[in-house]
Amino acid sequence: MASKSVSVPHRLRWPLGYTAVAVLVFLAYYYVIPNLGPDAQTFFRNWLPLTSVNEALVWVICALGLNIVVGYAGLLDLGFVAFWAIGGYVAGWLMSGKFYDVNFNFLGGASGPGIHISFWLVLIVGGAFCALWGVIIGAPTLRLKSDYLALVTLGFGEIIPQVFLNGDNIGGFNLTNGAQGITPVDPIAIGSTKLGPFDLVWKYLIFVGIAALVVFITLRLREGRLGRAWLAIREDELAASMMGVPLMRTKLAAYAVGAVAGGLGGVAFATHVNGVLPDRFNFSISITLLAMVVLGGMGNVWGVILGALVLAWINSTGLPQFGTSFNDQFGTNVNFPSYNFLLFGGILVLMMLFRREGILPESRTRLILKEPSRTDMESLHADMEEAAPELDEDLEPVIAADGTGEKA
Amino acid sequence: MFRAAKIFATVAVAGLAASACGGSASGGSDGGSSSGTMVIGIDLPLQGASKDASESTVNAMKLYLDQVGGKAGKYKVKLKVYDDSTAAKGAWDDATCAKNAQDHVANTEEVAVMGTYNSGCAKIEVPVLNQDPKGPMLMVSHANTNPGLTKSWDPGEPEKYFPSGKRNYARVIATDDYQGAAGAQFAAKDLGVKSCYVLNDNQTYGIGVAKAFVDEAKKQGIKVLGNQAWDLKQPNYTALFTNIKATNPDCVYLGGIFDNNGGQLVKDKVKVLGDNSKVKLIAPDGFSGYPDFDKLAQAQGSYLTFAGLTTTSLREQGGVGAKLLDAYKKKYGADPATNYALYAVEALQVIMKAIEGSDGTRASIRDQVFSGSGISIPADVSAVGKKLTISPKTGDVDVLDISVINVKDNEEKFLKPWPVS
Repeated sequence: MASKSVSVPHRLRWPLGYTAVAVLVFLAYYYVIPNLGPDAQTFFRNWLPLTSVNEALVWVICALGLNIVVGYAGLLDLGFVAFWAIGGYVAGWLMSGKFYDVNFNFLGGASGPGIHISFWLVLIVGGAFCALWGVIIGAPTLRLKSDYLALVTLGFGEIIPQVFLNGDNIGGFNLTNGAQGITPVDPIAIGSTKLGPFDLVWKYLIFVGIAALVVFITLRLREGRLGRAWLAIREDELAASMMGVPLMRTKLAAYAVGAVAGGLGGVAFATHVNGVLPDRFNFSISITLLAMVVLGGMGNVWGVILGALVLAWINSTGLPQFGTSFNDQFGTNVNFPSYNFLLFGGILVLMMLFRREGILPESRTRLILKEPSRTDMESLHADMEEAAPELDEDLEPVIAADGTGEKA
Repeated sequence: MFRAAKIFATVAVAGLAASACGGSASGGSDGGSSSGTMVIGIDLPLQGASKDASESTVNAMKLYLDQVGGKAGKYKVKLKVYDDSTAAKGAWDDATCAKNAQDHVANTEEVAVMGTYNSGCAKIEVPVLNQDPKGPMLMVSHANTNPGLTKSWDPGEPEKYFPSGKRNYARVIATDDYQGAAGAQFAAKDLGVKSCYVLNDNQTYGIGVAKAFVDEAKKQGIKVLGNQAWDLKQPNYTALFTNIKATNPDCVYLGGIFDNNGGQLVKDKVKVLGDNSKVKLIAPDGFSGYPDFDKLAQAQGSYLTFAGLTTTSLREQGGVGAKLLDAYKKKYGADPATNYALYAVEALQVIMKAIEGSDGTRASIRDQVFSGSGISIPADVSAVGKKLTISPKTGDVDVLDISVINVKDNEEKFLKPWPVS
């Protein structure tokens, strides 16, 4: 898609590229891999099982949400796990037998006591509920800047999972089932077909679709008025407000939109694991998400996707499997997964030293990071300053507002 | 520059796609699964606090399999170990459990699963194995003590774990309700306790066992002064025990796992309420098998229950279990780090017996356990030294040994067996 000689309209490039990759992976898992020999099948089961791909897609969805808050609006959020958790619990409440004395079924994937609502509706409800919480969490942080803001979000990220953990007795009402969590969650129903635990390829398609939706929203917002306002706030809050950007509304919008993605990811994850358990939602999830955004390239959707896929894979499959192979090969007994954080930390330090802008940087960030500081400029020559970039100069300016050609 | 980044991205994405499609060349040979070999999956948390326990569990099973020549009837048996924990969490992980469940089913040679250690993990895996198109696939746990997996407990349990309508989950260990009950009976009858304060760690296991203790304590005439969760992130529990002191209990019951800051809890209990001869300290097997706990000065004089027999008493009992323990000590230089190790061997025996009587398919192996009179292991071969029968209706075991252990001289000393019905 980098080549200019191909005459694909610019606005169709990413949807086509995205669809192509998604379809390739789908075909690989649907058709190619099941027809390979047993050795190759074992290879894929060990190194790239579809469960890991699906899990990585959930990370992608959440990382894209965090990217809006951190990458676009420049608001450091250390508690993004809260939205993942809220989304997960919305799925737990509305798609399981948790509230057994209620008997409500609306196109659900299961019958019997409890609330069973269609996965697709739950996605919308989860997203909306998280948006609401995004605003609630965002509201008190509006007066704060940088470090203080980060601390408040950190606090929320710690509080919300604790609420879920201890929510089995809120005035005698069992809201969250405490540490036992809510298992199992209903299967996804498409019409009358229900996706069983082994319909991973179809779940993959659904997750890819959700990710595409989030990418679409992110990219479209970025081009529009709201996106430009976010960038303005990120660069200089004071200047932005002087130019008439409504700080409060714009920042709240960033939290809300980011939270929607977190909620979608949470609902998707609940169906992936087939349950919600509170002890998953800890601080390290927020940090890993942040690392995905920073490593991939803050503000650049493709960078963030790449960062999320790679880190999620290393976390879930790559490193343990590398350890197993290494130990088998050399007869050693090194516990590679326990060096996980050492590896992540090391990569982060190296990245900050040598490629601060991330693997796939946003063009704007890169230029800013390369620009000499003001004092440097003044001490040398004032005219060494590059012309300030006007958004991504590489992007063609006009994009049709109808936003056709969405996703897979 | 941006172009370069774009090209890099394209290459990376293409590479990812290529790696997803490639490998077809390597898959030429079509060996198929050799029909004679049955693989049993072992699903344990191999990282974090349970690491030592899980490793010795695996070792004990490997040792046993070697002793019996690696065969179950006409079938050759192999073990395959799965890790259900992640380094990042240092404990079992829900997503990893979900992934393992898929792997068990996808691995065509695998016929049954031994595990899991954590009940929460079993609750994720069992429904998946249950819906295996070639199954249901049998899972036998050596350590899941949460009652809900096999009997009515919380609403919807246990049926919600078996969507196909057929049971596929069995266990060789008594459930929490027996253990909590045994703890309460022991407190009332042997220790003469009149009032008790109950704490739990707010996790599946801890809440279950604390609830069972409370229920039985009331029946035994013990006054339950409170049942409250302890916050595992607290730096100390002085305030908690100061409040408890006001209620003036004879005993404190800790329903939970030692990993969850149990050390600090025990220290502060003694600091505020006095030593364990004055205010008794009783805990379930979540505190058993931790050298750190046994060596704690404040733990001396406390009583533990264990849902089975301890390594010591199994050795005294003699038989297959004792022989296995001796062989283990000879090979690894110490006893297994957990009392569950022999129960894992017992679970393996159940699975192997099922394989022996089956036609080698998953469905048939599962049927061995859940049809007719079920599986029973005679006393002379049983790793726990007693005849053991798995109920074909529920998958629960009929041997309900609970051991009472006394922590003394930095060691867990077997005090007496406590049979419950």
